[in-house]
Amino acid sequence: MLVLRPIAETDLAILLRFAAAAGVGVTSLPVDETRLAQRITASQRAFAGNSPLAEADYLFVLEDQSRQQVLGISAIRGAVGLDAPCYHYRIGTMVHASPALGIWSQHQSLFLSNDYTGCAELCSLYLDPSVRGQGFGALLSRARFLFIAQFIDRFPSRVISELRGVCDSQGRSPFWEGLGRHFFQIEFAEADRLTGLGHKAFVAEMMPKYPVYLDFLPAEAQAVLAQTHPDTVLAEALLRDEGFVQQGYVDIFDGGPTLVAATEHIRTIAASRCYQLRVVEQLAATATPYLLSNTVDQQFRAVLASAVCYHERQEIELTSGVAAALLRQVGDTVRACPVPVR
Amino acid sequence: MIIRPVRVSDLPAIERMAHDSGVGVTNLPDQRDTLFERICLSVRSFETDVATYGTEFYQFVLEDEGRLCGTAAIAAAAGFSEPFYSYRNETLIHASASLDVHNKIHALTLCHDLSGESQLCAFFLEPAYHAHPYAAQLLSRARLLFIAQHRERFARRLIAEMVGWSDEKGISPFWEAIGRKFFHMDYAQAQHLVATRSKTFVAELMPSYPIYVSLLPDAAQHVIGQIHPDAELPWSILMAEGFEDEDYLAIFDGAPTLVARTDHVRSIAAAKRYFVRQAPPSSPHLQPYLLANTATAEFRATVTAGMVEANKLYLPAETCAALGLREGEVVSALSVDESLC
Repeated sequence: MLVLRPIAETDLAILLRFAAAAGVGVTSLPVDETRLAQRITASQRAFAGNSPLAEADYLFVLEDQSRQQVLGISAIRGAVGLDAPCYHYRIGTMVHASPALGIWSQHQSLFLSNDYTGCAELCSLYLDPSVRGQGFGALLSRARFLFIAQFIDRFPSRVISELRGVCDSQGRSPFWEGLGRHFFQIEFAEADRLTGLGHKAFVAEMMPKYPVYLDFLPAEAQAVLAQTHPDTVLAEALLRDEGFVQQGYVDIFDGGPTLVAATEHIRTIAASRCYQLRVVEQLAATATPYLLSNTVDQQFRAVLASAVCYHERQEIELTSGVAAALLRQVGDTVRACPVPVR
Repeated sequence: MIIRPVRVSDLPAIERMAHDSGVGVTNLPDQRDTLFERICLSVRSFETDVATYGTEFYQFVLEDEGRLCGTAAIAAAAGFSEPFYSYRNETLIHASASLDVHNKIHALTLCHDLSGESQLCAFFLEPAYHAHPYAAQLLSRARLLFIAQHRERFARRLIAEMVGWSDEKGISPFWEAIGRKFFHMDYAQAQHLVATRSKTFVAELMPSYPIYVSLLPDAAQHVIGQIHPDAELPWSILMAEGFEDEDYLAIFDGAPTLVARTDHVRSIAAAKRYFVRQAPPSSPHLQPYLLANTATAEFRATVTAGMVEANKLYLPAETCAALGLREGEVVSALSVDESLC
């Protein structure tokens, strides 16, 4: 059975391997052992409820328990921009018009902003390529929402997700080449690495502070603006299903879109309910798939499994194996959300 | 060869020169009505006593044996009734101590810094006179003598727009990279709008935020601060006067707008007043002088041979006649470097 759980110290080696495999653009996973070890420690503090919002960094791993193999990771940042500033470009519209001259033209510009300061962020999603295409990515991503739903008071009112922008196989980003490169004589991969090491605000300070008219960017840079990297398209579709939308904000380095949602309106969060657990030998034929979690923080567990929910009685029937995976016993509370969300 | 204020009867000649001046010379549009209005304004300006400068416009003509061969003007306050737009040529520093990086960023910022300064403009000299030993000097610098004598009519700084670089077809790479994106029209069309409607109209359609130069195409970057070959003559005369061309650019073609402190302009600082004395024929030690009378409406200037002795300037009889100068009258004059003539 595949179970999502908080990361542990023993996961450092696999985390390092994932970071190396994730490649350029998955900024929050720098290939840096010290840094990653710090993230694990920070995550443990966060799950224990001991982190100030600015430092809360929840790191989850998806584990195949039968083989004791970690297949992927995902994370939630409690709030962005509360220590080092968080920068995005807002794509704004300016109309230059003169009725007297019969001229009306519309121009888009990139405005440097800190508008998402204080939002929670979904980040660091990585699934081992050998198990992609089997729906595990959905579990890895969406199970985070059960955690947020359970501990909603720990999270801000909006959640963002920065999607990876377009770059070629050499890690060359047309958006970076058209804009950032002129202000910072380093490769995109290096800017990305510095960002992952926590220098994003410093790098941002080198970037243009005045609005940049898109008219002045090369066509290749304009073409990839707010476009998602092909590897991230599925992750994007999943977030859009959850109600995330693009509101004209993009990453300042690769131009990738940033999606946002009101925390309580994220579909999995809004649709999840708590039930009292009943364990059965065999599920009724009416059983349907549910995203399930327990209701504790440090021992948080989430799985995708079949269940039968009795809404009036607020009871849920699970098999003993699933109950065990959730570390729950009969009579305990379990959070559940139907899959797909209804 | 003399300089005098323009007259209404000069209109046909001014029209011919405006036509020949091509695109982009400030305040010299190929537009009869506009030219006529400017001449009338000039006539009024020369005749008016000015306590505080403002909308006055002083247009001069260069007359050779009774025929007009050039014109030049001064607007007392550029952008008096509407803002005068320029790009300020700026360097921004983007630095990060923790990353040990320090970048100089070149940006063009739309500004009104030069609004209200006095503007040397409408300079045109017939090509046949470009090789003349002093026609261009006289035409350009007579204005400076006028300013020196009527300092209260002018601002603290003098500015002059130059015609920017464009190719044989009249295409300005600077305009193509910036203006065209906001106007969807040719440089020449836009210049026509500026000349006939209002520059403010046009400027208000231009990008209002600073333009990062490094984002512009190379062709546009290369012509920033570059002048059209035809502008070489007025440019070199003013640069020799101590004008600077680094700080401001024209918003359409990226040409430098020259700026100088009025009191520091060389001819203005160097002009001295002398009493006129008629020189005996065949006087020795005659040297070239740029000189002007102290009149306003009857202003005259010329280049002539003369000789200074204390506060007296000895002039040949024919010069005195041409400028209507009598013995003992005061003139403003400065010695002209031979190399300039």
